[in-house]
Amino acid sequence: MPNIVLFSGSSHHDLSQKVADRLGLDLGKVVTKKFSNQETCVEIGESVRGEDVYIVQSGCGEINDNLMELLIMINACKIASSSRVTAVIPCFPYARQDKKDKGFFDIAVDNLYAEPAVLQWIRENIPEWKNCIIVSPDAGGAKRVTSIADRLNVEFALIHKERKKANEVDRMVLVGDVKDRVAILVDDMADTCGTICHAADKLISAGAIKVYAILTHGIFSGPAISRINNAPFEAVVVTNTIPQEEKMKQCPKIQVIDISMILAEAIRRTHNGESVSYLFSHVPL
Amino acid sequence: QVALLFLSSETRSDLPRGPTPEQVASSLRRWLPSAALPVAFTLIVLVYVGSRPGGRASACVLRAGGGERYAETRRSAHPGGVAGWDIMNVTKGGLVIFTANSTPSGRELARRIAERLGVELGKVQVYQEANRETRVQIQESVRGKDVFIIQTVSRDVNSTIMELLIMVYACRTSCARSITGVVPYFPYSKQCKMRKRGSVVSKLLASMMCKAGLTHLIAMDLHQKEIQGFFDVPVDNLRASPFLLQYIQEEIPDYRNAVIVAKSPASAKRAQSFAERLRLGIAVIHGEAQDAESDLVDGRHSPPALKSVAAIHPGLEIPLLIPKEKPPITVVGDVGGRIAIIVDDIIDDVVSFVASAETLKERGAYKIFVMATHGILSSDAPRLIEESAIDEVVVTNTVPHEIQKLRCPKIKTVDISMILSEAIRRIHNGESMSYLFRNIGVDD
Repeated sequence: MPNIVLFSGSSHHDLSQKVADRLGLDLGKVVTKKFSNQETCVEIGESVRGEDVYIVQSGCGEINDNLMELLIMINACKIASSSRVTAVIPCFPYARQDKKDKGFFDIAVDNLYAEPAVLQWIRENIPEWKNCIIVSPDAGGAKRVTSIADRLNVEFALIHKERKKANEVDRMVLVGDVKDRVAILVDDMADTCGTICHAADKLISAGAIKVYAILTHGIFSGPAISRINNAPFEAVVVTNTIPQEEKMKQCPKIQVIDISMILAEAIRRTHNGESVSYLFSHVPL
Repeated sequence: QVALLFLSSETRSDLPRGPTPEQVASSLRRWLPSAALPVAFTLIVLVYVGSRPGGRASACVLRAGGGERYAETRRSAHPGGVAGWDIMNVTKGGLVIFTANSTPSGRELARRIAERLGVELGKVQVYQEANRETRVQIQESVRGKDVFIIQTVSRDVNSTIMELLIMVYACRTSCARSITGVVPYFPYSKQCKMRKRGSVVSKLLASMMCKAGLTHLIAMDLHQKEIQGFFDVPVDNLRASPFLLQYIQEEIPDYRNAVIVAKSPASAKRAQSFAERLRLGIAVIHGEAQDAESDLVDGRHSPPALKSVAAIHPGLEIPLLIPKEKPPITVVGDVGGRIAIIVDDIIDDVVSFVASAETLKERGAYKIFVMATHGILSSDAPRLIEESAIDEVVVTNTVPHEIQKLRCPKIKTVDISMILSEAIRRIHNGESMSYLFRNIGVDD
């Protein structure tokens, strides 16, 4: 019976350590370094022969370097006769560039959802959650938002916008009523944060008393942090798919939801051959 | 819409030739103003001269939007009819040269190649977004064309690879006829062997490129020729040695008094092939501290180097591996009173070169040159070279090194864009490449 061996790439060591702790394991020994000509070098430090290997690497920071490191590590494990190699990629890079071709993997893919963790956070941290309204900052996120709103049994609204250029927002139209309610903006990623800051302004001017933002992947590149600091958010909540310590020091509004237990449980279930779909609607303890 | 006009002239060979296709085309252009032609109108004019097998005919493709393509066709040996024709070199598309480098220094080589070929570089935007993702946007049509993507490896190797892969894939999904990667310095070529529990990254890279849609690769002086075998597509491993040899003959005044030096036994074959062509002797440096960090041999030992604690069956003990002992540095060959020319394929970490230069100076060499194809010269290399006994470092422009040149005037560059542009031209026209490999020995 193969054992689980968990390796961490250099992108998000913290999350990998949390996942390992939850699984009751030590992280596998691996040395990742760069030669002087900037080529990545990976050396696995323990035997993986016949084992079930999981590599945790998030697509954040220096994306191309991390991607290359992941590929080389997977290759190394396969050559070292591991029984199976699974890549755990909390934030999948280059996802935005191919919106039209999804699903081009030849292997099994488990796309986990942060939704259960988000719901739990809302119930535990927003006192007025029973009377709040979930808002989507664009029409594309309507499905995501209605799903959350239905589970919380609250209403939803959405903001319809017209964009002239990428990453620049134009006109925004609010569809739904937010007057005297706590508004919760929900989106999948926050990159430059132009959209959600504009949305927050819109919601405040439409009468919302407080605005929260809950985003799965907090990339926060470019002017994002300063935009959030100047925007009327009560709190901006992201998951720890991407390391957030630095950003939290610069912006006190950022809070983090820990999703390591979802990943750990997924790894455990995959290893034991159990169903992973339980995780689509429940947060493991 | 395509219209085919056949104009056949008299079959007797003693009559003068009919009108040439060019003449027909210009007449037609005068008679049919372009406004009358719909946009996608293509007129193919075939003028058939001579009925003997082997007689030539020319085809001229006239496009409404301007631009013509001429082609020579040869009648095949089959008698009768259009079915006997082979059409050669009629390319519906053409040639497009891109560079997927995002830095201006990286584009320099591509610019030179395009200049030599007399074409403009294709319009493409390559940049890194705020979240560090690479984005490539091709701004012209590549449908049906032969695409050549020139990529030089910059400081950020992994981004360079990603730029190339995205570009290749974009061309493939845009129906390019063929995609040739021109990657003079092939990255990760030093990680082409198994090292302990490492990975053969060259093979990984080759698989990724082929999967992305590459149909051909042009490289220069691959670190290990076996890398050619990692690819499923044809690989042309061009050589820079003719250019370096020319530099030696033209720029080093008393080169006949030189000795070609290999800085370690691994590069002895290359040194010998240079020496043969220049009719000079060789010398080989052998001893401690010769292995660069990335050239370490396979760290797994078979048989094991240490005796295991308890042998289960005493009679079946595997003999121990005697660890190698490196002798102190020696120079095999005479360099006293001569110019020493150290040749290698890659000059990256210069510590070993500097050490070799010291040794050669001690043994009596009065001038020391270093010739390498790929001048990566990373981290502190310029400073170390400046302070060392090396007189000149000659590299080609496969790897951009402008910054290093500014910090160290000893570095000289040899331009190899000629051979790359010639290779591109020949591949596009379907001509033989063997001319580019003449005078190349087996060991080069």
